[in-house]
Amino acid sequence: MAKCTINGKEVEVKDGTTIIQAMSGEKQDWQHGKVAHYCWHPGLSVAGVCRLCMVEIEGNPRVQIACNTVVTEGMKINNTSEKVKDAAKWGLDFHLINHPLDCPICDQAGECGLQDQYMEFGKYTPEMSEKKVKKHKVVDLGPTVVLDSERCILCSRCVRFTEEVSKTNELGIFNRGDHSEIGTHAGMELNNKYSLNTVDICPVGALTSKDFRFKQRVWYLKDAETVCNGCSTGCNVKVYFNKEGMFRVKPVFNKDVNSYWMCDDGRDIYKFVNKESRLLKAKKKTTGGNWEEMFPGAAAKELSSTVKAAGDGLALVVTGQYTNEEYEALFTNLKTKKVFHWVNSPEKHNDFDGLLIRGDKNPNTKGLQAVMQKHGITPGNWADLVAGLQSGNIKTLIVAAPEIAAVYPDIKHRVSEFEKAHNLVWLSSTKSVEVDLLTGNIWQIPMKSFVEKDGTFVNHGGLAQKFKKATTVVSEALNLGEAALLMSGAQIMVKPETSPFVETARPADRVTLENRKKNEFVFKRGTL
Amino acid sequence: MSIVQNKKELSNWYLPGILGGLFITGKHLITNLLNPKKMPTLNYPEEKFEYSPRFKGNHVLTVKKDGSLRCTACMLCATNCPAECITIKASEHDDPTVEKFPISYEIDILRCVFCGFCEEACPVDAIRMGPEWQTPGVNGSEFHYGIDRLAYRPALKGGIQSVLDDEERHKAGI
Amino acid sequence: METKLLSEFYHIDEYRGLAGYKAKGGYDVLAKALKMAPQAIIDEVKASGLRGRGGAGFSTGTKWSFLPKNNEPRYLLCNADEGEPGTFKDRMMMERAPHQLIEGMIISAFAIGSKKSYIYVRGEYFYAIGVLRKALEEAYAAGLLGKNILGSGFDHDMDVYSGAGAYICGEETGMISSLEGLKGQPKLKPPFPAVQGYLRKPTIVNNVETLAAVIPIIRDGAAAYKKFGTEKSTGTKFFSLSGNVNKPGNYEVPLGYSLKDMIFKLGGGLKPGRKLKAVIPGGSSAPVLTAEEAERATLDYECMAQMGTMLGSGAIIVIDDANCMVDCLGNLTHFYHHESCGQCTPCREGTGWLDKIVHSILSGKGRLADIDLLVKVADNMKGRTICALSDAAALPVLSFVQKFRPEFEYFVREGRSQVTGKTKEAVHGEMHH
Repeated sequence: MAKCTINGKEVEVKDGTTIIQAMSGEKQDWQHGKVAHYCWHPGLSVAGVCRLCMVEIEGNPRVQIACNTVVTEGMKINNTSEKVKDAAKWGLDFHLINHPLDCPICDQAGECGLQDQYMEFGKYTPEMSEKKVKKHKVVDLGPTVVLDSERCILCSRCVRFTEEVSKTNELGIFNRGDHSEIGTHAGMELNNKYSLNTVDICPVGALTSKDFRFKQRVWYLKDAETVCNGCSTGCNVKVYFNKEGMFRVKPVFNKDVNSYWMCDDGRDIYKFVNKESRLLKAKKKTTGGNWEEMFPGAAAKELSSTVKAAGDGLALVVTGQYTNEEYEALFTNLKTKKVFHWVNSPEKHNDFDGLLIRGDKNPNTKGLQAVMQKHGITPGNWADLVAGLQSGNIKTLIVAAPEIAAVYPDIKHRVSEFEKAHNLVWLSSTKSVEVDLLTGNIWQIPMKSFVEKDGTFVNHGGLAQKFKKATTVVSEALNLGEAALLMSGAQIMVKPETSPFVETARPADRVTLENRKKNEFVFKRGTL
Repeated sequence: MSIVQNKKELSNWYLPGILGGLFITGKHLITNLLNPKKMPTLNYPEEKFEYSPRFKGNHVLTVKKDGSLRCTACMLCATNCPAECITIKASEHDDPTVEKFPISYEIDILRCVFCGFCEEACPVDAIRMGPEWQTPGVNGSEFHYGIDRLAYRPALKGGIQSVLDDEERHKAGI
Repeated sequence: METKLLSEFYHIDEYRGLAGYKAKGGYDVLAKALKMAPQAIIDEVKASGLRGRGGAGFSTGTKWSFLPKNNEPRYLLCNADEGEPGTFKDRMMMERAPHQLIEGMIISAFAIGSKKSYIYVRGEYFYAIGVLRKALEEAYAAGLLGKNILGSGFDHDMDVYSGAGAYICGEETGMISSLEGLKGQPKLKPPFPAVQGYLRKPTIVNNVETLAAVIPIIRDGAAAYKKFGTEKSTGTKFFSLSGNVNKPGNYEVPLGYSLKDMIFKLGGGLKPGRKLKAVIPGGSSAPVLTAEEAERATLDYECMAQMGTMLGSGAIIVIDDANCMVDCLGNLTHFYHHESCGQCTPCREGTGWLDKIVHSILSGKGRLADIDLLVKVADNMKGRTICALSDAAALPVLSFVQKFRPEFEYFVREGRSQVTGKTKEAVHGEMHH
C-alpha cells in the first residue's frame, strides 16, 4: 500500500496502481479529480499514445502521463495547475488540427471525447490554417462496423481490443506518421462476435455501428441500466430509449459478470422490445372464428372461468425468460401438478465460447429451477405433455412463451404440439407468426418485456442480479404475475401504465427551469 | 399604483365626456379626408407592407448546386426549436462524400412560432426563414410541411442555393 | 591532425578480411579480454569515461552496470541503423573494418554476460550488410564465435539483422520492437531496456563506434584512453563532415578538437568567395550554431551543451552564405514529417504541422504570425512524447527561428528568399508515397 497526495487529498492505494487508476477508481467515478484521456481504458493494456493525461508530480520538472506512472510512497500529484492545463490543451489541439469538420454527420456528437474536452478547455481559437490530411471515409470494416479514418485519433483502443480481449487480431494500424490509418489485416473482416465493443470504446466517431448509424441523435436518448436477457451470462447493460422506442444497448461494467464488454448478439435485444415486434393487444380466437382483439386485463379475467373449469386438466409450460418474482406469483396463484419446462437446445446448454457467450439462451434458467424447487414442483417429462394433450387429459394449456423466439429453433414444432390442447393460452411479449396461424380455442395475452418491469435474473453461476424498470413500450401489457393472478380469479384491477415515458428520479432528466437554465444555448445567447 | 380621480362637478355630467370623444374622432376623420396620403393604414391587398430582408416568414430549405437538399440531418434545428416542431429522419446517402441526408424533414407549422432559432442553429445554411408569410390553410390541409413544400414549392423556382458549399471547403483543405 | 586510434588501418583493403585484420593485431585484445573477469572489463570501461557515440552521450560503463545481477539471458544489440541525417561514420567502419566491430562486440558481450547479440543495420546499407555477413562467416569458421570461443568456455552467437527504411528504428526501443517482429514503434519507458528489453529480457543497446572503442580501452588501459580528449569527454570520435566544405568525409579526432580547425584545416575550408553562415554540429537534431559561435566551439559534450546544442552523433553539416536558412529548415521538417512513426499525437500531428507551415512560407504564402506559431508548436512538442523524435524535430525549428529570424521575416514579408530570391513550390508539404 502506498500513500500519495492527489490534488491535496491523501489517498492510499495498492502497490502497482498507476496514477490514473488511483484517480478514477474501479467504476471510473473519478473520486480525486478528472483526467482527460483517450487511449487509456481500464479493460485494456496501457498504450500512452494520446499524451492527454498529463499530471504534475512534485520533484519532476516535466509533466508526466498518468496512465503509465506507478504511484510511489509520498508522491504528490497535481492536475489543476496552469502548467498541466496548458499541456493538456496543446495535447487536445494536436488531436484537432487534422480532424474533419464532421460534427453534423457524425454519430458521436453529444458523447464525443473531442467535443467534451474542447468544451472543457474553454473553446479556444484554433491556429491551424494549413490543409488538413485527407484519408478514406466510410470504409466497410465488416458486417457490423463502419470506419472513418479522418476522424480517427489513432488511440489504438480498437487494435488493442482485438488483440487482447477478442483475441482475433483483425485490426492494425497501417502506414506511418500523419497518414496512419486503422485497417483490417489482409483478407480479414472485422467479424468476431464482440466487434461492436470497438464502437463503444472508440472515443470519437471513427468506428460507427451499422445498426445504429444515423438512427437518432444521442442527446434525445435516455439510458437505464438493466440485465441482458440474451443468454445465461446476464451481462449488465444499458438500454437507450426515448418515446419512439429503444435504439441501442451498451455494456455496463460489472467486475464479476462481464467486465467492460458484451457480445454482439446482445446488441439486438432491443429489437424485440420495440413496438414493431410486440404483441400490442390481447387476441382471442374460438374454433371456426377469427382473431378478436381485447384488453389484456379483460382477457385474463375472462380466462379465469376456463382455468377453474379445467381443474386438474390445467398444465403450465414455462421458459426460463421471466423474472424470479414472476415465477413466484405464477406458481403461487396457478396451482397445478402438471408443470413442464420448455428447454431450447438442451445439448448446447453448457457451451461457452471462453469470453461471454453461453449456450443457454435463457437469462433465468437457474432462477426458474430454484423457484420450482421451493414450491416443490418437479417439471414433467415432455413426452407426458404430448401424451396428455393427445389424450385430452390436459384441457387447458398455459404457455409462458419466450420473449426472444429466435433462440428457440423448435418453436414451430412445439406450437403445433400445443395446438392439440382444447384451450391454449399463449403469454408472450412478442407477436408470433406461428401462433397466429393456429386454429382452435386460443388466447394470446401480451406480456411486459424485461425492460418494462423490476425483477431478478439468476445467471449461470448462481448470481442473482436485480434490475429496475427502464420504460414502458406497450402500456397495457401484463406482468406474468399479474396475468396469473387474474387468471386464478382474483378480483383486482390492473391499471395500464399511465405514461409511456418514465420520468426517472434523476433530477437531470426532469425538464425544470434550473436544467433549462444550464442549457446555455437558450439562456446565455451572445450578441446576434 | 394609485388612480387619481378628477372629482370636478362637471365630470359628473356625461355629456362633456361624450362630446369630447366625438370631437377627437371627428378631428381624425377630417384630417384623413383632407390628407389621404398621410393615413397610417395601408389599403391591403392593393398596398402591401415591405418587410426587411431579415423578416422571419415561411421556412426555406436550401439546395446544393446540383439541386439536392443541403441539409445534413444534424438535428441541431430540431434540438434548438423551443416549440419542438421539427421532426427529422436521417439516412445513409450512397455518395460517401455526402454521407448523411434527411429522408424526411417535417415542420409542424401550427406549432411553429417563427422565432428563427432553427436558422441560427443550422451550421450549413440549410434552413432559412424566407419572406413569404401569406399561406393560409383550410380544414383538411396538410399542416406538417415536408421537404417538397419547404424546398421545392413553386414560389422558390426550383430551389434556393445555399451559401455554404462543401466542395469548396474540401478543396481549401478544411 | 587526425588521431587514428580506431581508423589506423582503414586504408588497407585486406583489413576487411580476417587474415588482414589478424595481421594488424586483430583479435589479440579479445584473447586478452577473455582472460579478465567480466566485471573488470566493465570497471575498465567505466573508468575510461567512454560515452555513447550514437548521439545521447551516456556513460557506457554506467549503462552496462544497470543490468540486473541475476542469470536471466541478456542481449547485446548493436545500433547500426545510423539514421541521423548527416551521419555516415558507422558505414565506414562496417565496410572497412567489420572485424573491429565484431571483436568489440564479443568483448562487450563477455563483459555483460550475453550469449546472443544482433547487429541491426539499416536496410539501405546493403553493401555493409554483405560485408558483415561475410566477416561473421569467417569469424565462425575461425572459432571466434559460437561455442567455446578461443578455449575460454564463453559461448556467443551473433547475427546481422536488416532494417527496412525507418529512422525511428534507430531509437533503442524502436529497434527492439523491430527485432521482435513488431511494427518498429518505440515502447513506453519505464521499463527501460536494461531491465526489460528485447523479448522482455535485459538488453544493452550500443552504437557501432562505442562497441569498437572498447578494443583500445582494453588493449591500452583506461588511463591511456583518458589521455585523449578532455576531462569529461574522453577518447577519440569519428566526425562525419559534410555540407559546403571542400573535403567532406569521416575524420577521427580526439574530443575537444576545435570545430574551426575541423572545418578549415581537415575539411579544406569553404568554396572560394563563400563565407561560413551556420554549422549543425551533431546531426540534424542538434540546434544550429551561427558562424560566430562555431568558430569558438570545441567538439566535446560540455562545450556543446553549454552553447545550447549537442554533440550528438558527430555529423557536422556546414552551411555557407549561399544557402537560404528557410529552405534548409524545410528539408529538415520534411524529413521528420516523413519519419514520425505516428504513435503519439504531438509528434504525429506536430511534425506534419511544422512541415506544412515551413512549406507555406517557402511557397511565398506565409504570414507573420506563422513564425511565432512555429515556435509555439515546437515548444509544445518537446518533452511530451514517448521517444525523442519529437524533441529532435522541434529543436532545429526553434534554433533556426531564434538565430536566423530576420531571414524568416524577410521571406514572409517579401514572399521570396532573402538569399536566393526565389520561392520553392510547396511540393513537399504533401507526402509522396
